[in-house]
Amino acid sequence: MHRVVITGMGWITPMGHSIESAWKGLLAGESGIARTSLFDAATFPTSISAEVKNFRLADHIAEVGSHIDGGRNTQFALAACSQAWKHSGLDAAKLDLDQVGIYLGSGEGSLDFDAFTAANLRAWQPATNTLDTVKWAEVALELMNVTRELEQEPNMPLSHLALLTGARGPAMNCLTACAASTQAIGEATQILRRGDAQVMIGGGAHSMIHPFGVTGFNRLTALSIANDDPARASRPFDAQRGGFVLGEGAGMVILETLDHATARGAKILAEVAGYGSTADAFRITDQDPQGRGAIVAMQEALRDARMTPADIDYINAHGTGTRENDGNETLAIRSVFGDRAKRCPVSSIKSMMGHLIAAAGAVELICCVLAIRDNMLPPTMNLHHPDPECDLDYVPNQARPARVDVALSNSFGFGGQNDSIIVKRFVG
Amino acid sequence: MRRVVITGIGIVSPIGIGAQTFWDNLLAKKVGIRRIQSFDPSGFSSQIAGEVPPFKISEYVPKSYRKATKVMARDIELAVVAADGAFRDAGLQSRAYTDAPTIPATRFGCNIGAGLINVDLAELTAALHAARDGNKIDLQRWGREGMGQLTPLWLLKYLPNMLACHVTIIHELKGPSNTITCADASSHLAIGEAFRTIQRGDAELAICGGAETKALPMSVVRQILLKRVTETHNDSPAEALRPFDADADGTVVAEGGGLLILEEYEHAKARGAKIYAELAGFGASQDSYKVTEPDPTGRSYGNAIAKALADAGAAATDVDLLVPHGLGIPTHDRAELAGLRRVFGEGLSKVMFAPIKAQTGALAAGCGVDAAAAVLSLHAGRVPAAINSRKPLDGIALNLSPEVREANIDLAVSSVYSLGGQNAALVFRKLES
Repeated sequence: MHRVVITGMGWITPMGHSIESAWKGLLAGESGIARTSLFDAATFPTSISAEVKNFRLADHIAEVGSHIDGGRNTQFALAACSQAWKHSGLDAAKLDLDQVGIYLGSGEGSLDFDAFTAANLRAWQPATNTLDTVKWAEVALELMNVTRELEQEPNMPLSHLALLTGARGPAMNCLTACAASTQAIGEATQILRRGDAQVMIGGGAHSMIHPFGVTGFNRLTALSIANDDPARASRPFDAQRGGFVLGEGAGMVILETLDHATARGAKILAEVAGYGSTADAFRITDQDPQGRGAIVAMQEALRDARMTPADIDYINAHGTGTRENDGNETLAIRSVFGDRAKRCPVSSIKSMMGHLIAAAGAVELICCVLAIRDNMLPPTMNLHHPDPECDLDYVPNQARPARVDVALSNSFGFGGQNDSIIVKRFVG
Repeated sequence: MRRVVITGIGIVSPIGIGAQTFWDNLLAKKVGIRRIQSFDPSGFSSQIAGEVPPFKISEYVPKSYRKATKVMARDIELAVVAADGAFRDAGLQSRAYTDAPTIPATRFGCNIGAGLINVDLAELTAALHAARDGNKIDLQRWGREGMGQLTPLWLLKYLPNMLACHVTIIHELKGPSNTITCADASSHLAIGEAFRTIQRGDAELAICGGAETKALPMSVVRQILLKRVTETHNDSPAEALRPFDADADGTVVAEGGGLLILEEYEHAKARGAKIYAELAGFGASQDSYKVTEPDPTGRSYGNAIAKALADAGAAATDVDLLVPHGLGIPTHDRAELAGLRRVFGEGLSKVMFAPIKAQTGALAAGCGVDAAAAVLSLHAGRVPAAINSRKPLDGIALNLSPEVREANIDLAVSSVYSLGGQNAALVFRKLES
C-alpha cells in the first residue's frame, strides 16, 4: 500500500484568496462574515453570510476561455486548483496524465434565478394552483441558456479541472452535503494507496449564497439570525450559539503517492495518515443524539492511521455553531478520546469563515496542515459563554502556539454522513 | 485480495419494477418509452420518455417510515424502491423487515449515485406567486411572506445524498456511505467505489448503484437545449432510441434506478446466498476534451475499460458480452465506438452487444440498471436483443441481434460515460462452480 502525501494546497475563501492571507486572518481571529451582497436578503431571516469578495477568475488562471461560463463553484474550484498545482510544482509536461486523477466533493452550480423564476411565474395558473407545463416549456425554451443549465450539474467543477490540468485518471465527484470534500480527499487517498493513480487533485467547491439556498437553510432554522453583529454571529460551542453562517469557496490539495513525490523531489507538506467514513442511519433531520456515527468515523480514522487518541495534537471540529452539532460533536470526541479529550485542543474556523458546505472539509483540512507547519492553532472565536454541554478546550478567542504533529478534521453532513481524516507531519 | 460477488439486484425501470419483472420484459423486447404521462409535454419538441409504471412509495417502506416519504423527491423514491428490491432479492434481513436484523450494520456500506435533483415546480411556484412582481420575484416580499409557505424540510428533498440517507435509515446501514454525482457515470462509479470498500476490508456488504429521473419538465428542457434528445419520434416512441444505428438522431430521457448488493465472497458463501456473478474489475478515467461532448477519439473511455479488464486479470479477447452506454446520439455513439476499438481492435465485431437503452431510455444516474442487465445476462446465459440497431452507424459491423440470444457468458462488461467526461467500466465474471 502506497503512502500518500500532500504537496500542494490552494483555496478561495471568504477571508482571502491565497493560503497565506486567509491563514493570517484566521490566526488573527478576523471574520469573513458581513451583510449579504450577492442578492437582496434584507428581509430574509438571515441577511448575513460569508461571501468570497472581489473574485475574478482572470486573476487566477492564465487562459480563462470557456471556464468563465462555469458557475461560481466551478470558478472557485479552478482558482483553488491552479494555486495548489503551482504550489506543488507539478509540471504537466513531465506527468503521465492518465495517472493524474481528480476527486471532488463539489456542490451544484448556480441556478439561473431570473429565467427559472420567470418560467415558473408565467406558467402559473393561480385559479387552479397548477403549473401549465405547455406554457412553461415555451417560456423556458425562450429564456434558459444551454451553458448556464449544463453548468449547474455537480460534476462540472470536476470536468473543468480536467480541462485546466489535463488530468485523465480516475475522476469522481461526491456530494455528501457538508462532509463532501473531506470524503473526497479521503477517497482520493484510497485511490492512491491502491496505486490506481500517482497524483490526485482532491477538494471541493460550493456556493449556496443565493435566494433558494438561504431559503432552504432558513426554513430548516439552521442559520444564525444574528444579523446585527455579523462578525459575532457564528458562535461554535458557545452557550448562546444560534446556528451556522453560510459561506462559500473552494479548497484543493494535491495528493501524491510518496514514491511519486519523492522521485520528483517535491516539497512534502504533510502525510495523510487515516480516514474513516460512516452513516448515522438515524434521521434525515437530526444527528444521532449519542454521536454514534461520528464516534465510529473518528475511531475508524484512528484505526486506519494505526494511532490512538494520545497521538492527536489538534482536532479541527465540524463545529458549525448549531445547538445540535456542537453538543453532539463534543459528546463524540469525549467518547472517543476519554481522559485525553479535555487536554486535546479543538477549534472551529467556522466561527470566522462561516460554513462552506461541500467545500468546508477541504478548507479545514488545509488548516490542519498549516497548524502542523506553523505549530499554531486557529482559534474558535466568539466563545464567551460556557455551555455545560461543551466542556473541551476550544482554543477560545485567540490563536495559540502548540506543538502539532498530528491533526484530525471532522465533517458531518445532513442526513447522517460522518467523515474524519487525520494528517500528520511528514517524517521520511 | 478479498473477492466480491453480487448477491442481490433491485431495479425500478420503465419496463418494470423488480429484477425479475425487468428481466422478463427486457427479454420480451418490451419498450418502456412512450408519450410522457406525468405532465403535458406538448410544449416540448421531444414529448416521449421512459417512465416507471405507477407505484405507491408507502408500499416500499416500513409502516413507521411512511411519514418520511413526504420529503422524498422522485429520485429518492426510485432509490428507496430499488433498495427494497435488492434487499429482498438478496434475502437480507435488515431493519426494514425485522426488529432483530441479522445484517452487520456497521460493516454494510451504501454508495448510491445521484443526479441534480429537480425541485417540484408547482410546490415552489405556489410560494413564489405570493412574492411576484409581474414576472419577477420581489425578494423582499419573498423573504417576508413567500419562503414561509415552503415546508420546513424543503431543502432536504433535494440534496443528492438523501437517496443514500433514506436507504441507510430504512435498512439501518452504518458503514461507509457515499454519493457520487457524475451524471450518467454515477452508478458505475458508485459500484466501483463500493467494490473497493469491500476489497480493502472496510465493509462486508454494500448496496450500490444509482437512481435519477429526467422525465421532468426541467430535465427535458435541458436535454433539448443540449440537443441530446430525438425530436422526430413523438409518434413512434418504441423506435426512438437507436443505439449505434445510422438513423439515430438523439436519445430519450427516462427515470429509474438500479442497485446491486455487493458482498464479500466468503461472507456470501457462509450464509448460503444466491450468487449472480463476481464483480471482478473496475476502471475509471476522465476525458480532457470538452465539457459538452465526449472525446471523439474515445481515448479515456477506452482506458477505463482497459483498466477494468486489467483489474480483473482479463484480456479484451475474454469479453463475451458488452452492455455499452449506447445513447443513440450519433456523435456520442461514434466516440464510444472509437473508444471500444482502442480496447478490442478488430475483435470488436466479435463481442456480443446488448444496448438496452432502446427499451428503457437513458437512465442517467440510474444506469445501475445497465450494470444489472449485464449481471442478469451473464447469470441467465441470455443476451437481450438490440431492437433498434438495424443499420450500422458508419457501416461498422457489430455483433448485434434483433432477437434474444442464448450464449455462455463468462465475462461481461458494462461501461458508461458522462457529459463532462467521466468514464467508468465494470467487469463481471461467472463464478466458477
